[in-house]
Amino acid sequence: MFKKHIVRAVATAAVVFGGIGLAGCSAGGDGGGAEGDLVTVGFVAVGPEGAWREANEANIQDTFTEDAGYDLRYAPATNLDQQSQIDAFTSFVDEGVDVILLSATEGSGWEASLERAQEAEIPVILIDRGIEPNDDSLYATRIAPDNMVVSESVAEWAVSAFPEGANYFVLEGPAGVSVVNERNEGFQSVIGEEDAFVSLGAQTANWSTEEARSVMETVLQANDNDVQFVFAQNDEMGLGAVQAVEAAGLTPGVDVQIATIDGTRPALEALAAGQLSFVAEYNPLFGETALEAVETVLDGGEVDSYIIVPSETFDSPEAAEAALPDRQF
Amino acid sequence: MTATTTRERLGALASTPLVWGLVAIVVLLAINSLRDPGYLGVELAASGRLTGNPIDILRTAAPLLMIALGMTLVVATGGIDLSVGSAMVIGGAVSMEMLQAGDGSVGSAMAALGVALLITAVLGAINGVLVAFVGLQPFITTLVTMLAGRGLAKVITEGQNTSASNEAFRWIANGTVLGAPVVFLIALAILVVVVVLVRTTALGMLIESIGIDPKASRMAGVDRRSLLVAVYVISGVLGGVAGVFATGSVMTVDVSNTGLLLELDAILAVVVGGTALTGGRFSLAGAAIGALLIATLDKTVVFLGVSSAATPAFKAVVIVALCLLQSATIRERLSRVRLRAPRREVTA
Repeated sequence: MFKKHIVRAVATAAVVFGGIGLAGCSAGGDGGGAEGDLVTVGFVAVGPEGAWREANEANIQDTFTEDAGYDLRYAPATNLDQQSQIDAFTSFVDEGVDVILLSATEGSGWEASLERAQEAEIPVILIDRGIEPNDDSLYATRIAPDNMVVSESVAEWAVSAFPEGANYFVLEGPAGVSVVNERNEGFQSVIGEEDAFVSLGAQTANWSTEEARSVMETVLQANDNDVQFVFAQNDEMGLGAVQAVEAAGLTPGVDVQIATIDGTRPALEALAAGQLSFVAEYNPLFGETALEAVETVLDGGEVDSYIIVPSETFDSPEAAEAALPDRQF
Repeated sequence: MTATTTRERLGALASTPLVWGLVAIVVLLAINSLRDPGYLGVELAASGRLTGNPIDILRTAAPLLMIALGMTLVVATGGIDLSVGSAMVIGGAVSMEMLQAGDGSVGSAMAALGVALLITAVLGAINGVLVAFVGLQPFITTLVTMLAGRGLAKVITEGQNTSASNEAFRWIANGTVLGAPVVFLIALAILVVVVVLVRTTALGMLIESIGIDPKASRMAGVDRRSLLVAVYVISGVLGGVAGVFATGSVMTVDVSNTGLLLELDAILAVVVGGTALTGGRFSLAGAAIGALLIATLDKTVVFLGVSSAATPAFKAVVIVALCLLQSATIRERLSRVRLRAPRREVTA
């Protein structure tokens, strides 16, 4: 009886996951063997995570097209699970693709996989996320915007926007993620030098609008609304903070100024409407840079171990309005 | 004489798990009040709505209360529903997509609400049928629907975090009636309806009988299968309601975060409320206290400024302490220590 249950459960699970898996694969070309003279590129991707990731991965897919001479195999992670990424990575190595693009969901635990790729002489290019420990002999290059630079730009704006200083609060992403550490470090390197800025603390809202709203309403209560500046480490949390500020009867942009990182369309719309005060872009559109790097590497050339993607900042409703018409994400 | 009766009464009270949940809430509120004496203050803002920390806690507790109610009924039958968080994200995704396509009227809000609850009812029904008729284990069944459910939500919104605007829908989560938050009033009303439905009829007893001994209850003529399906459907719909509450507060569904891991909070609320995971006897009021406790705990962490890294540990310590107090064995040991100590500690 018990055995039968398990068999049934596994069968059900197989049907459900099989369906999801197939849907995921259909984007990845025809998956056959070598396509004659096309260069095969395995893309170990993160998959659905938010607007930023979607823009980034769509941009990569739109760049490595068959017209450009590439056969891109897109392999998104299952529910942000690292094991599914390692499996996809390994099968790309076994297939013998020409180059692998990797956006790791987790920084650590990639040494063995990267060494296998190295033995098979398949160059690996890290897209956005780095690996830990950062051993750059294991990969050709990492292409990403620099979190430190982006978060420093937020702090520098705050220093100029509040010449008299301010009480500030930081809405962080999940504890322990490298992005969060880097964004904290960059921000603190500037704001920590300013004595007029008083930290009211920092708390995670897990990148989520809903949690950010809940955290922010309590922070406002705890400080009798005496908060002038909020640094939200992504757009979604910034938008949650806007709602909490409004619910507390204050005016975002006037009583409380909120700065965010990412630069997605909803955030720029909020900036244009005066709800956000500063948006630092974390530029996801670097398919062209990745294409150049792949070409150089395949021709046997050398590339820098870290290619920084330039990002813009938006500090006024006018700047946001100017950027909105051709915002792709 | 009176001393013993007082002690007996206290003893009886102490063995009610629900009481310890209340005690924990009071202690947390007291700690917050120590930090800021005005913590419990509630003010009537110019906009005619009550504001203050207690109001925020009630609002935060509302979605959790919904899924904890459904979870209690499922657990009472000896099952478990891991898919409540996914029901939330599906409910949120469906309503946000419908509202985005709608015209912002009250009608489109009602339509969004209706379809969201219908689809989460179907999700619950799938769980129910697989458990009751196919005979799958509840844990495996709802684990599968949990994973597939979040996947479905991503398909519904095409992986985007969909936002929408609709005043009527927003009112559900943000509005007030006579100053009190609508979302908590609705949650309270649903709690009362479920309690009346379950406790004034034989329904509660039938559900318990399934949890205690499925075979015996079947032989006694209890329609086990229909009841199981009904219980899972109720849990699914309440998950949908929670999803509407959660996404309505910010009018955005976050497909990778809405309702994430909340099934664990719901199970916690159920256990704190004194319902055994082995099935049988259950307490809806206990689950409500449990939900309030978790909301208070979440708010306390932010209010005290506990760092992000230490937050899970802080919560774990509070929950472990509470579970120890609820344990009969531990309490007995403690009271033995107390007997040897001077009498003044009787009231402790």
